[in-house]
Amino acid sequence: MRGGDGGGRGAGRGRGSGPSPGALRAAATAATALGLALILGVAAGTVSHGRHDNATHVARMAAALWELPAGGDAAVTAFLEGRATIGPDEKAGPGAHAYRAGTLEPAAWIAVAPEEPGPGWPLIPTTLALLGLSLMSAWAFARRRFPPPSRYPTLPALPATLLLAATAVASTSWAHRALGDLSAGRAVHGTRAIEVALAHGADPGHAPRVAGLPWATTEGLASPDELWTLPREVAEAVAAAPPSAPAYTVTVGGATYHVARTAFPTPTSPAPPIPQDPTATEPDAANPANHLHLVLLGYEDTRSPAIPLAAAAAAPALATILLLFLLPLSARPRALRRTLTAWGFLSPAAALLLLFTFGPLLFSLWISLHEWHLVDPVHPFTGLANYGALLLDGEWWSAIRNTAVFTLHVPFAMAVALGLALLTRRSRRAVRWARLALFLPGITSVVAIAVVWKWLLDDGYGLVNRALEGVGLGSVAWLTSPDTALVTLMAISVWMVVGYQMVVFQAGLAAIPRDWYDAARVDGAGPLQRFRHITLPGLRHTLFFVLVTSVIGSFQVFGLVYVMTEGGPLGSTDVAVYHIYREAWEFLRVGNAAAMSWVLFAVVFVATWLHFRLLERRWAHA
Amino acid sequence: MRDVRRRAGGGPSAGLGKGARALLLAAACLAMAAPFLWMAATSLMGQLEVFSSGRLLPETALWSNYPDALTAQPFARYFLNSLLFAAVVVAGQVATATTAGYAFARLEFPGRDRVFMLFLATMMVPVVIVLIPRFLMIDALGWIDSYQGLVSTELVSVWGIFLMRQYFRTVPRELEDAARVDGAGPLRIFWNVALPLAKPAVATLALFAFIDAWKNFLWPLLVTRSMEMRVVEVGIAAFHSTYEINWPYQMAAGVVAVLPIALLFLFTQRYFVRGIQLEGIR
Repeated sequence: MRGGDGGGRGAGRGRGSGPSPGALRAAATAATALGLALILGVAAGTVSHGRHDNATHVARMAAALWELPAGGDAAVTAFLEGRATIGPDEKAGPGAHAYRAGTLEPAAWIAVAPEEPGPGWPLIPTTLALLGLSLMSAWAFARRRFPPPSRYPTLPALPATLLLAATAVASTSWAHRALGDLSAGRAVHGTRAIEVALAHGADPGHAPRVAGLPWATTEGLASPDELWTLPREVAEAVAAAPPSAPAYTVTVGGATYHVARTAFPTPTSPAPPIPQDPTATEPDAANPANHLHLVLLGYEDTRSPAIPLAAAAAAPALATILLLFLLPLSARPRALRRTLTAWGFLSPAAALLLLFTFGPLLFSLWISLHEWHLVDPVHPFTGLANYGALLLDGEWWSAIRNTAVFTLHVPFAMAVALGLALLTRRSRRAVRWARLALFLPGITSVVAIAVVWKWLLDDGYGLVNRALEGVGLGSVAWLTSPDTALVTLMAISVWMVVGYQMVVFQAGLAAIPRDWYDAARVDGAGPLQRFRHITLPGLRHTLFFVLVTSVIGSFQVFGLVYVMTEGGPLGSTDVAVYHIYREAWEFLRVGNAAAMSWVLFAVVFVATWLHFRLLERRWAHA
Repeated sequence: MRDVRRRAGGGPSAGLGKGARALLLAAACLAMAAPFLWMAATSLMGQLEVFSSGRLLPETALWSNYPDALTAQPFARYFLNSLLFAAVVVAGQVATATTAGYAFARLEFPGRDRVFMLFLATMMVPVVIVLIPRFLMIDALGWIDSYQGLVSTELVSVWGIFLMRQYFRTVPRELEDAARVDGAGPLRIFWNVALPLAKPAVATLALFAFIDAWKNFLWPLLVTRSMEMRVVEVGIAAFHSTYEINWPYQMAAGVVAVLPIALLFLFTQRYFVRGIQLEGIR
């Protein structure tokens, strides 16, 4: 404390001006108080504004279908559009994820435009206050810890200040957006609808369908499994509600769903859902079974503003840490300049990695702790529930087992590749010509390869089975039997990777000194002995490298499975990445999928660690 | 070096005669190339011919399969997209990897090796972990189904940084020191001295970045939606599910997808081999 004051005075003397430490401290305290007051004020305003009479919202539920097929159910469209107010940013609304990702058909989701724009939050003053707060407190603290030199470098302070400003603005504006989400104008985030056919006993195909809406029969409505597009607990509540219940609410985590049923006559314009059905008749408008029934779920974000507030508070803290990192360096201008230069060179890569790798890693962990549905704006925090559910998820563990079995192709591939490397060891010219053939499978389009193999291994007409039948061996169900499909994929994978592995082994072989072989030959060692005692030990680092990278790679197989088997038959080729892909982009349960990907990471990590533990030590001391 | 290697026989294959080894190698090459040959053969057959005849070669080469298949879906657009995607990714990865690799190899700053290890550690992380958050981020930016959404996450490669760092460390320092004495700044030294010396490594990196971008399937599958934004890989997968049993068309599309990479490899294979060996030896 005392020392810091002395340093502050020293700086003041050196430059002949500058605020006294006392004034600095007072300013920092004032800025802190102001910032805190603003944060609390924003929070209070948000919370009081955000509570709305939900019943009126449900009553005024404005629904809009996004893109009905041209010339489709015009009357339905008209009806829905009559209720709709399509906002300017409607396309960015909930459901847009799945819509744009192509995993749902157009118009699968109904979005509600904000009823009225939310009150504009005092973004700029608060940001400035937080910026001032962060700068002041950091400055005051840093001066106390690190007495500045008499000549203070001012130029390097510029990037530091800019960085601070950017951090503070970015985090506060994010916090404001998150707070704004909780405010009045966005109390109801959107509406989702399930179309219900009430046609008991009738062909469900006769019920009119609004293009792409999630769809259920009345029986299906009573089963949570049929309502998989909804968060689990909502689906359970909807399924448990008596059909006569007109309106009720379900609250899951931070989301409140207002469930209402509505029915209205459907257009008489022909909209045959199954055109091929010859028994299809014109829907009878008087029959209530042919009315369009919708279960509408307006959902509302009722989370507490704790997390956005914490983020806003974290901004000054982060800024302080950054300053603390830079200030001690500023005492040594040359070191600072060197460091800034180096980070200047690093910054493109570092910024991109931070944004698209390190940030997403943390974000993914965060997602995995929530019940996070791709199209729902609220994601209730569920702690480790996703991981707990995974423990009991047999399909997931079978996917992990399939992946582990698939990985067993690696040693086979390595054996073949090593054989090829030995084969081509002494004839470099032959290698150059052989390389294209050996290498092409590994570097070219995986999808094209998958397609050609699918054709080669076709049950009835594939070249392989025709050849087998030709020599009287009988055909094999390469990809259509659960017993063989995974092994087939493993064989194709061996075919794909041997070329690459061969080149790595060639490099490793070239590094083994020739003298060793000469000495062995003088001692009378045969080829097998030379292989066992010179080649293998000489290659052990290369072998280890290839093993580890190939195992990590084979845990991530996706393209082959996606094109050739789609995880089938009977889930026998459902590997981990494909399983995660389906969970996230087909079933839209990204929370679950994120948890799965972390489990996969753990498996990969343990496998790699085991390799290091069991093999490298032994091989290193061989 | 070369004659050393030629004489340095060892291992079981040394016991085989030259003819036997050539025969084995030829058989291996045939096994590796057979699917591609069958792909080319099928691409010239008639739609029914592939099911009826047991022939290995088409009765008459049906060249019209190519224009027909390639116009059944906008493959020209797919190619353009793939090329654009790969070109931007190559430029981005070369830019980020050379600068970062130079910083890690030549510049001094506190925590350098720790930061480098942190970067390297990300090579062990399965990409699937970051796909969901990346997708949500790209979506929040409104970049789904756009070129910027396609490329922005792919612009940095830790493998490339590693490669460039290793290479810069092998380049002698004397030239840089001379430039420094002449009063050149760090940026000038990097651009005029270090980077020209690193051309072979840059070529290797660019090649691998191009191939990886061309092969990238999962990310374009996630972030593109419209036909106009698809890359070749996604296009062929979509084509496959649309023309399920029209094998000649699919094989024609496959040939066209494989050919550019095969040609690229033919002309650049020494860079390939060098890249793999640099990676493998450490």
